[in-house]
Amino acid sequence: MNPRPPFSLSVDRHTPVLVQGITGRAGQRHACMMRDAGTSIVAGVSGRAGADAVDGIPVFADCASAVQATGAVASVLLVGAAQVLPAATEALAAGVRLLVTPTEGVPVHDAIELRRRVDAAGATWVGASTPGLAIPGEAKLGFLPDVSLAPGPVAMASKSGTLSYEAGFRLVQAGLGQSAWIGVGGDPVKGTRFADLAPWFARHGRTEAVLLVGEIGGDEEEAFAQAIGTSGFDKPVVALIAGRTAPQGISMGHAGALTWGSVGTWESKRAALAAAGVQVCATIDEAVKALAQALRR
Amino acid sequence: MFLFEHDAKALLAGFGVAVPEGCLLRADGVLEGTIPGGPLIVKAQVAGGGRGKAGGIRRAADAVEALQVAGSLAAVPLAGAPVAGCRIEQAIVGATEVYVSLALDAGQARVQVLMSDLGGVDIESVAPAALVRECAEPEAVALAAAVQRAAQRLAPGNRAAAAEAGTRLAAAFLALDAQLVEVNPLFVLPEGAPTRWVAADAKLVTDDNALYRQPALAALVEQAASRYPEAARKWKHGCDYVVVDPGGEIALLTTGAGLSMMLIDELRAQGLRPYNFLDVRTGGLRGDPQRLVDVLGWMGEGRGVRVLLVNIFAGITHLGEFSRLLVRALDAVPAFRVPVVARLAGPGFDEAVEVLGARGVTVERDLPRAIDAVRGALAEGVTLSAEKTS
Repeated sequence: MNPRPPFSLSVDRHTPVLVQGITGRAGQRHACMMRDAGTSIVAGVSGRAGADAVDGIPVFADCASAVQATGAVASVLLVGAAQVLPAATEALAAGVRLLVTPTEGVPVHDAIELRRRVDAAGATWVGASTPGLAIPGEAKLGFLPDVSLAPGPVAMASKSGTLSYEAGFRLVQAGLGQSAWIGVGGDPVKGTRFADLAPWFARHGRTEAVLLVGEIGGDEEEAFAQAIGTSGFDKPVVALIAGRTAPQGISMGHAGALTWGSVGTWESKRAALAAAGVQVCATIDEAVKALAQALRR
Repeated sequence: MFLFEHDAKALLAGFGVAVPEGCLLRADGVLEGTIPGGPLIVKAQVAGGGRGKAGGIRRAADAVEALQVAGSLAAVPLAGAPVAGCRIEQAIVGATEVYVSLALDAGQARVQVLMSDLGGVDIESVAPAALVRECAEPEAVALAAAVQRAAQRLAPGNRAAAAEAGTRLAAAFLALDAQLVEVNPLFVLPEGAPTRWVAADAKLVTDDNALYRQPALAALVEQAASRYPEAARKWKHGCDYVVVDPGGEIALLTTGAGLSMMLIDELRAQGLRPYNFLDVRTGGLRGDPQRLVDVLGWMGEGRGVRVLLVNIFAGITHLGEFSRLLVRALDAVPAFRVPVVARLAGPGFDEAVEVLGARGVTVERDLPRAIDAVRGALAEGVTLSAEKTS
């Protein structure tokens, strides 16, 4: 197995981005919304015959020709769950270096296979089941609502879209904003995990503090705690973990939010994070206040 | 989804995994299958671990006693978990107990094969030295090889049985889009027994997202909808709905899994009683109120529900459009008549205030204010019911 390349994100308003599935309902709408947010959407890809442009964005029949014509290095895949694996494979073959897959409902065994292909290509994959990522003021790749985005010092990493919208919204209300926002998504197997982000957060100049928006299920919060505990991470980290009172054995909306036995429980995550010096907050407001205090604003 | 032992065994048997003869006494008293000859063992069907310690596994001499025991086990929750019925199966004696599992390693995106000569106990309590661990890609040849490597590291008497059982479990793991297949204990039987091994217990966790390509699992979810209400609803209606407190007072019409879970946690921390979890997925409504109609109907089943809290933080959804659908849905479910508090954020807010305001719905911009309004509605409700009784 290839070692995983360390996570790195260098996205700004000049990064050329293509949208796969651009002629679909979500594709058309979000290609335009991302462009309005400053992202350089340079191309679309669609298997549908006859579409040569969506609102002025040129549409290509496949990724290879889109990349050749526009130099796109990142792709947002707005395709159905069963199409994510083949569409992402096509993008990797065309040389795309960053994949963002918002689609919900990708089978776990497909995600495992995609992880293998992404690692082999040395590329970066964020998703699936993610609202996307953003560098506020520069670019956004996905759905993150503008009302929750503002340039600022807090790096956000989240499993849940809506909970992070709410947390981002209150951060912005409190006069704080984000240096980067990466929705890792709610699936158990994913392209980028919380722990993968820790080294990048540590050296990312504009990041002064981290807000981790986690939830029950899996072991990502525990692994993140281990990653910062062993690396001498010196920026304050505040965490929210949803699902403290959720029942066992039931997927709470996210495929990854499933606990059985002592695996993935709220208490396991709280204990691991607290031991690594993370302030685990019971409410969204408490988390925002903790960040404001840590940043003395 | 987490499959109950009875269903897990039925599915695994299809892959050549030997299981004790048994049947299911459902929670509604219906017997599926026939009770085998004694001595018997009666096992409560619950999600989550620690069943044995909690008293969920009992012995019975014969069918009559087994039905009695099963009836009493199914009547009350086991360590807080609802009991979905009892599996009654033939007791097996004189076996060696081994542990075999295949689990998704989400971090490595691989499959972990775990075996131990110390089966029959909580595997987390087993010393690491007594555990055999192998990793493989989720692919038939690699996984079968990992199973063989693991089995060869067990005690000589357990190797053949663990290898054969493990190979069949691996095939099931791949074919069923599983996240976990665990047999603990695997009974390894003495020479001369009719079979060499048998799966005394079985745990199976599958992937709801792969249900569309798993006809056997989809059929189970449809036929046993009462055992798997959450999976069945999601399969049929495309949204996640879980009753978290049957006596809850606050119905939640919410979108987004994380925010919905967090809202439940925060309400409970304030001493309030939410009735349900819901990720309605407003993005999937597409101009049709039917999903909202269904959801309001389910909420109407909550006898304690006295207020509806709507919380939609829209990234994509237009709130004006959503509000018109909500009004149509409320009109379509006249039996569900409770005060409605809506917290909305996102595009089309002003239009939503107009549409919902005309329907008498309180609309708030901020969640804490909406929760205050819910408290107010609950307090008013108390006065109203007091007036009724006086």
